[in-house]
Amino acid sequence: MPNLIDFMERATSGPIVVEEDFNLKRLIPNTRKIVKEFNLEYDPDNLVPSDDDLADRLFEAAIEFAVSTGVYCDDTNRVIEFEREEIINALRNLPGGAHFGEGRERRKFVPRKPDDSRSPWCHVGTGIVASSEDIALAQVEGYGRIPQANSISIPAFNRIREMQVIGGSPLEIHAAVRAVQAGRKALTNAGRPGLPIMNLISSATTSVGTIAGSHPAFSLRHSDGWLIDFLAEMKVNFETLNRLAFVQLTGGNVGATALPILGGFSGGPAGTALVMTAYYLLGVLLFQGTYQLTCPVHFRFGCTTTRDCLWVLSVVGRATSRNVNFPDIALGYAAAGPQTKMYFYEAAAFVISSVASGYGGVQTVHPAKAVMEDGVTPLEAQFCAELTHNISSTKADRANELVKLLLEKYEDQVAIAPQGKRYQECYDLISGKPADEYRKLFEEVKDELVGLGIPMQ
Amino acid sequence: MEKDQILENLASAIVDGDEDMAIENAKAALGQRMDPLETVESGLSKGMDQIGDQFGKGEVFLPELLMAANAFKAAMEILKPELEAQKMKTAQPGTVLIGTVKGDVHNIGKDIVSTVLETKGFEVVDLGVDNDTLSLIQEADKAKADVIALSCLMTTTMPAQREFIEVLEEMNMRDKYFVIVGGGPVTQEWADEIKADGYGESAVQAPILVKKLLGKS
Repeated sequence: MPNLIDFMERATSGPIVVEEDFNLKRLIPNTRKIVKEFNLEYDPDNLVPSDDDLADRLFEAAIEFAVSTGVYCDDTNRVIEFEREEIINALRNLPGGAHFGEGRERRKFVPRKPDDSRSPWCHVGTGIVASSEDIALAQVEGYGRIPQANSISIPAFNRIREMQVIGGSPLEIHAAVRAVQAGRKALTNAGRPGLPIMNLISSATTSVGTIAGSHPAFSLRHSDGWLIDFLAEMKVNFETLNRLAFVQLTGGNVGATALPILGGFSGGPAGTALVMTAYYLLGVLLFQGTYQLTCPVHFRFGCTTTRDCLWVLSVVGRATSRNVNFPDIALGYAAAGPQTKMYFYEAAAFVISSVASGYGGVQTVHPAKAVMEDGVTPLEAQFCAELTHNISSTKADRANELVKLLLEKYEDQVAIAPQGKRYQECYDLISGKPADEYRKLFEEVKDELVGLGIPMQ
Repeated sequence: MEKDQILENLASAIVDGDEDMAIENAKAALGQRMDPLETVESGLSKGMDQIGDQFGKGEVFLPELLMAANAFKAAMEILKPELEAQKMKTAQPGTVLIGTVKGDVHNIGKDIVSTVLETKGFEVVDLGVDNDTLSLIQEADKAKADVIALSCLMTTTMPAQREFIEVLEEMNMRDKYFVIVGGGPVTQEWADEIKADGYGESAVQAPILVKKLLGKS
């Protein structure tokens, strides 16, 4: 299998094109042509498809798309191209899972299949949401107390001593180191120091921050996971590849991360499903990842819980889990924030779609589009973890019915979703427990969902 | 070909993103000695309005917008010499300089805003990604921009939006431009805090916001 040096050779010798031409002459026409050729069609009534033929066509289409499009390297203005055979070989040689964590928290994260009754991996927390340092400690300690949690996502720090962190500056290095240290300390406080952190390092927006925060002095372990992102769509740059080189050479687990934009270069739902599936192939071949972390994001609403995004999420989950032996985590963004009923409806729709479609793991759905500072609490994580476990034996057809019931409750509110409250507004800062009002709302929603036939108890 | 048919074809060529059809009908318009300004406003711009509306309703996406914008540009290349010869100017609501701030290489949101503004007739100068503050200011001056639109996707590049406004103030140039901000982590709260003139949560809001700032809504 080619390695990063081989891909660097391609990044410096592949076809040279300006970025606009890559978009207009490769990415867009290939997406449109292949969507048509493989008859990939969005069905707004069938959001969690059980159609295996559609899933397998999507997977085949993604191979053709990856081969015909390649990946654009922003720093060399060249296209890294791939051969069909090397993609197939890379998929064939996958180990089928990997171990994460230490001591009694050490577990094997394995892929699942659609309609698989095994409980998915529970990835708890919302890394991209910025938190202040004291709140972050409380949040992560709260995540550590969730019994179903298999791994943790630690918050990003965006301020150091009231100064806003500037990417690529010493402030970023401080933020990356402090976030890692706080995460580990909070998990120790929760009595689960062995839990793996699998979103390294969200406070580091450059490779320098990632490398600094990963220094052994700050107690990260090989059994944690480092996220490396593609640029939207089908692009990388040297920052990405530098990070990749560092994690590969130090023996860390690479979490290949791709969040295709529905409505962006990939077009509508079918095109976005195609691109999102292709990212799995690239996660295995180009990034040589240990796991994939992925979801579509709506170009206008900034969330994953719209009808079309849920279809993309589901059809890609079915396509990849049937055809790739690669553990993956479904990540989602809700439009509404903490302490709103709408958040829980959205999160339930996302979790049900993901679990029934065969994702190996499910992450806490990020509240309020992940843009509100301190805008996440352990209660959202607990909700997602409980539902992830309880819903695992639900088949796609039933999941589709449930998701449609949930959409009825929130779909027309997505554009005007309530932002909800910050941690300090809906949690007791001393006890680290939800305020009575939030606890009451949580129980009310759970009862309501049970009434819809969703197993919340 | 009848004049009305040519105008209709031009509008359709834009909506379909058909560059060849746009060029062919632009040439036909000149061959028929049609008023070039009317050809733009009742043909090409009508098509741009339609595709912009479809985008606003979520019926089409970025690829269709980009293809429409390309077809528009191709037809304009044909019509421009005649417009210039007759000293005609198409109605143009304003010039927007747009770019992603220093340290941020994410472009997709910025590209969508840029294309949506173009479909609504704005002159858009797109500086791409990773622009430092002083270069942005210099380019805005060169472009005679009315509005500067700053994008970022990461919380660690948001400070560059604040810095841009502060530097404009230090250089006594704050009143020269309207500054609007957007991007994944950006909120109205942030825009207010850094004293930006406007914020759009989605690309669809960009032309409305810019028109409002320029007093053209």
